Amino acid sequence: MKKTKVLWLSAIACNGNTHSFLNYPFMEQFLEDFEFIYHPVIDSKYSLEDIVSKEITCDILLIEGAISKEFKRADVSVVKIIEKYSKIVQKIVTVGTCATFGGIFRESGYENTSGLHFDQDKQLKEFQYLRDKTISVSGCPVHPEVLVNTLYAIKKSITLKLDNFLRPKEFYAYTVHNGCTRNEYFEYKVDNHRFGELEGCMFYDHGCQAPFTHGSCNKILWNEVNSKTRAGLSCMGCTEPTFPKRNLFSTKKNMAIPENLPVGVGKRVYLTLAGITKAFKIDRLEKKLIDD
Amino acid sequence: MIKLIEKIEGEAKLNFNFKEGKIDFVDIEFMSTRNIENILKGKNAFDALVINPRVCGICGHAHLIATVQALESCYENLELSNKAKSIRELTLNFELIQNHFKWFYLTLFPLFGKKQEILKATYPSQLMAKAIAVFGGQYPHTSYAIVGGVVCEITHMDIIKLQHYISQTSKFVEDNLVKTDSKTFLTCKDADALLDYEGDLPDILREIKKMNLLGHGKSYDRFISFGQNSYFKKGKSLKTKVSHNISLEHVKESDIASSFAKNVSFKDEYYEVGPLARAMINKNQLIADAHKKYGDSIFSRILARVCEISKLLEHSKKLIDNLDLNEPSYIEPSMDISKLNSIGYSAVEAARGTLIHKVEIEEGIIKNYEIITPTQWNLSGGTKEKQGVSQKAMVGLDDVKTAELVFKSFDVCSVCTTH
Amino acid sequence: MLKKKENKKELIMQAALELFASKGFYTTTIPDIAASLKMSVGNMYNYFKSKDILAKEIIKYISSYLGNKLREINEQEISTKEKTRKIVEIYFKTASLKPEMIDYFLRIYLSNREVFKDSCEGMICVNEFVTEIMIYFEEGVKCGDLREQDFFSAFGLFMGYLGGMVFLKGENILPKDLNDYIDDIAFNIYKALSAE
Ligand code: SF4
Ligand code: SF4
Repeated sequence: MKKTKVLWLSAIACNGNTHSFLNYPFMEQFLEDFEFIYHPVIDSKYSLEDIVSKEITCDILLIEGAISKEFKRADVSVVKIIEKYSKIVQKIVTVGTCATFGGIFRESGYENTSGLHFDQDKQLKEFQYLRDKTISVSGCPVHPEVLVNTLYAIKKSITLKLDNFLRPKEFYAYTVHNGCTRNEYFEYKVDNHRFGELEGCMFYDHGCQAPFTHGSCNKILWNEVNSKTRAGLSCMGCTEPTFPKRNLFSTKKNMAIPENLPVGVGKRVYLTLAGITKAFKIDRLEKKLIDD
Repeated sequence: MIKLIEKIEGEAKLNFNFKEGKIDFVDIEFMSTRNIENILKGKNAFDALVINPRVCGICGHAHLIATVQALESCYENLELSNKAKSIRELTLNFELIQNHFKWFYLTLFPLFGKKQEILKATYPSQLMAKAIAVFGGQYPHTSYAIVGGVVCEITHMDIIKLQHYISQTSKFVEDNLVKTDSKTFLTCKDADALLDYEGDLPDILREIKKMNLLGHGKSYDRFISFGQNSYFKKGKSLKTKVSHNISLEHVKESDIASSFAKNVSFKDEYYEVGPLARAMINKNQLIADAHKKYGDSIFSRILARVCEISKLLEHSKKLIDNLDLNEPSYIEPSMDISKLNSIGYSAVEAARGTLIHKVEIEEGIIKNYEIITPTQWNLSGGTKEKQGVSQKAMVGLDDVKTAELVFKSFDVCSVCTTH
Repeated sequence: MLKKKENKKELIMQAALELFASKGFYTTTIPDIAASLKMSVGNMYNYFKSKDILAKEIIKYISSYLGNKLREINEQEISTKEKTRKIVEIYFKTASLKPEMIDYFLRIYLSNREVFKDSCEGMICVNEFVTEIMIYFEEGVKCGDLREQDFFSAFGLFMGYLGGMVFLKGENILPKDLNDYIDDIAFNIYKALSAE
């Protein structure tokens, strides 16, 4: 089979997605199936100067980083580069939260910095004509498997079901909460989490956003071994348009009731269930998981 | 002649001025910045732990550790367990190691006319990423080090896993980088002896010799390193004379008109930072020998960078053996950050050298944040009369290709430099 | 059929409530309740297997009654200040119309916690009522009307105050009708909880 040609274009970025991608475990196979006409780290037949000055044949355009027409690569505005290649490619993939929603570098001070189609959750008019071509794989950084398997789906002409932000539902229909090893503490409202422990859930005090963050972090795991919430760090909601919110290590509460509840669960339902479970003291969850 | 240097986590423009067929002066320009320091202003202090790793995709972890240490130095009497300290050191070591592998096989190889060895870069760096993820949940971009310690609890099973990642990586080094057992390599004191070994590193070193580049890329022979831990020492080295009595006070950052990068100097002089600097200050015998024979050239610089992989793997094993799992991972600070008005500094050794963070907090909110990255030290763009470290290293070379090699021997990172 | 059984249950609970209020909780027996309804004791047990079960069902019944009233208030598009007044009003109205209900809640449920141990732990049996109070608080803070604080410090202030007034009324100490205090009490509570 012919190699699919991919252009990896970085805009206002930290290259985190680039390095996350390098953690993809089956790189050998990937490089047999795909060829980068340009990549920030991997050698390519063409230089960046070639890319911006010529029009190189390409199947998929990957954009990493927030976008502003003021931001240039090899003296050419990234918007110009996107305009040129978006015409010839079959699909565009916005890689990571910056390219999708603006993310951290939305605040970098360039004129009108945003994602390709969204400025946070606001849909943009620019590039609207490209919407049908685009798939977003948000995340800060994107999970390598999410990126690579989306590329394979494009290669195999599979029609992926996308959510309102153009994200493949197969990855983003889940919440990050799904599969966390701390689930029981959440279910039974054991709310005395302390950092540095295997026990407890960060939802109540320490700002875990997983129940209302879309992604597969706890389903496919990171680096094939762990996830932030399993390790004991709150989910920062990095796949969402609102990333980064403020005061990330503490839960926004109103009269001690979390302001953001699990996605799709009404407040009354949540509070009723919480009230019931909270009434019970479950010994196993009150003590150390691995005790003497 | 202007050349765009690519694939250095971004680009830089080098403007070469020749005189009588030799490079006379090189102007270095970085074309963009992301204003991280501005983004931080007005944010809750702890949010810096999430934002700062995003300064850089390849050394973001060093930025996390620098952030947490800068924040911690804002407190008085903050307690930190030895376990937490060691864990932080370990994850930072792992990041340095993965960085060096990537640099060696992805950046350096093509400069010697070889094909990039992508899988040799990704295999060991993925192992190191896994080792970080055991503690931090993921790599890149975890924020697992928080004021008071680390968020994770570690079990014996985790330790066993970690030991496997490390020994597997050591094995990779033995099978590929330098084909001998680690012990022999680690105790080798003769730089020339290395030329007789098999392996990717000796290959490159022989190539340097063959191309008559042994003495190329020399600069001021002045080194500095501020990030102290259980392995690295703080100090400066002037032509092998090492002193440990240095203070951050004398580090100065200044704007340059032509570039988005800022210059960094110590007592108004430019110093080289990075693995070679660290090895000189640590008095690593193998590197000292290379330095004695070939000075602060690309030979020594490349050797020091790769050699650090084995040194750090070795040291990490010791750190793990000495971990006391009974200690707490985290000790809650007695003062709430929202009550804090203070200034804090930190210096840590990132892959490319000393990274400095400075934070000013007012009632828990960031009033000011300054970051000095390693590449800023090495790539300070001076005037012709007073050149930066990498500029000076390129002077006198005959061609742009060798100059690019010398430039990249500093492991340049564009995103960090301009942040 | 089911509906009929439910209605009958409600009648029994109402009768029990009145007896508890006049005779006291401990001295009232299942036969007493059956007698007051002209039912056989055996038939009575078809509805409630024991006095303890009856006691728990009653508290759930009251919680759901008050919860429903509060929910109607919560669902109105009115300010937190107005909501506060309406909650005070409905509480006092219930205390006047169905004094045995509030009486039961204050004197029996809160002071005989041992009866309510099994399957009535914490606030499970008053969940419907507490949930609505939570929503009232949460929305009040969210829209900026109320000050953020611990749930129980707010809950205690609100319920303790209302309970205290009903208690004074029950002891015949209050010179005026409960309804005459609504404005002042609503004002006080709102002032104590408000963000200003
Ligand atoms: S820590 Fe976060 S992801 Fe884990 S159970 Fe709690 S809410 Fe869910
Ligand atoms: S756990 Fe949350 S913050 Fe972390 S990578 Fe996943 S979505 Fe992002």
